[in-house]
Amino acid sequence: MTTASHETAQRTTEPTRAPLPVEPDPGTRRLSTAKAMVEAIAQQMRSNEEVFVLGEDVGAYGGIFSSTTGLLDEFGPDRVRDTPISETAFIGLATGAAVEGMRPIVELMFVDFFGVCMDQIYNHMAKIHFESGGNVTVPMVLTTATGGGYSDGAQHSQCLWGTFAHLPGMKVVVPATPYDAKGLMTAAVRCDDPVVYMFHKGVMGLPWMAKNPRSVGPVPEEEYEVPIGKAKVVREGTDLTIVTVSLSLHHSLDVAEKLAGEGIDAEVIDLRTIVPLDREAIAASVSKTKRLLVVDEDYQSFGLSGEVIASVVEREPTALTAVERVCTPDVPIPYAHDLEYAVLPTRDRIEAAVRRLAGAK
Amino acid sequence: MTEVTFPSMSTGGCGTGVVATWFVTEGEAVHTDQLIAEVAMDKVDAEVLAPADGTISLEVAEGGEAAEGSVIALIQ
Repeated sequence: MTTASHETAQRTTEPTRAPLPVEPDPGTRRLSTAKAMVEAIAQQMRSNEEVFVLGEDVGAYGGIFSSTTGLLDEFGPDRVRDTPISETAFIGLATGAAVEGMRPIVELMFVDFFGVCMDQIYNHMAKIHFESGGNVTVPMVLTTATGGGYSDGAQHSQCLWGTFAHLPGMKVVVPATPYDAKGLMTAAVRCDDPVVYMFHKGVMGLPWMAKNPRSVGPVPEEEYEVPIGKAKVVREGTDLTIVTVSLSLHHSLDVAEKLAGEGIDAEVIDLRTIVPLDREAIAASVSKTKRLLVVDEDYQSFGLSGEVIASVVEREPTALTAVERVCTPDVPIPYAHDLEYAVLPTRDRIEAAVRRLAGAK
Repeated sequence: MTEVTFPSMSTGGCGTGVVATWFVTEGEAVHTDQLIAEVAMDKVDAEVLAPADGTISLEVAEGGEAAEGSVIALIQ
């Protein structure tokens, strides 16, 4: 096939190109993270007929973590497609549709299931743009549920964003709040690159799961984007920097607010995106505070926490006076509640690390 | 004054569920059909929309139990 025919096949439509507001005022209307995510998908489906949703139980069930609730009723079974249990087949289908100019949003029910479909993800979705010399784009969104804390066992509780971030070719976003969930989904759908959109079950604000108050919050009704690749200083502070992501943001803010009363003033950065990583934002904060805590629910070794620390050391080799990380140690996530909470980055573990860092010379 | 009741979610209509999430706060102005709450019963969730315009007062705390058909909020 010639380059020209590929260009003809690309049917990127104009409505996705109209600029949208970037991080507008949140207003007062409140949604859960799940509902904010669905609202973003619905708005993009209304404005661009090439956007469609597919995956296991995304239709009548509405996504087992409510990531697609109500979409079938509005858009029908042609645009909200339940698939058989073959992740290889339906992620390959989505990649093919994206290559032909559609904008699929394909859900991998649990990120833990990536093992059966990784060839489609990292050899095809992630590499077609590169291998075609930029002549073919793959404007798709791979959504997936991550994280533990509710006794779902070692094969349904992992985060694994470091695994996807390690492989070139995919953007990786990990929203923690309703506001960012909507803005990052909107940005992901409109982006011409493949985006992996990883939502922790514990930030979705689901009625049947223990939820942090921050999983329900203000969300603009209009369409807007949160830029992919931009971290956010969620709490300003001077004593140390906590760099974190997803549900661990909520725990870190809980600890920061508690210890503020004791005179420990923590700056908290929500990465929001892991690829591309906002290394400058991390380095800028640490150059001010000199102390760094990375809180990451993903496995500790060979992952995000080490990458964050390396980003600082490469840019500001003398800035750090103390550094720690609170991650999941390199063991499978236990099923038993007490054992699971022994490995998760809990508030207690974060608080102990913050106290050590604040007391460090 | 308009009563907001816990929706009917079971065949018998006499079960008890939980007000899982309030999307509005005490004394907030609401409008008809605005999403105000999410309730759960036996692993089934349901949204609660405001039945009228007005100022809402919450009769059941978030996380609190309520019987089907019972009043969970008032709109004046």
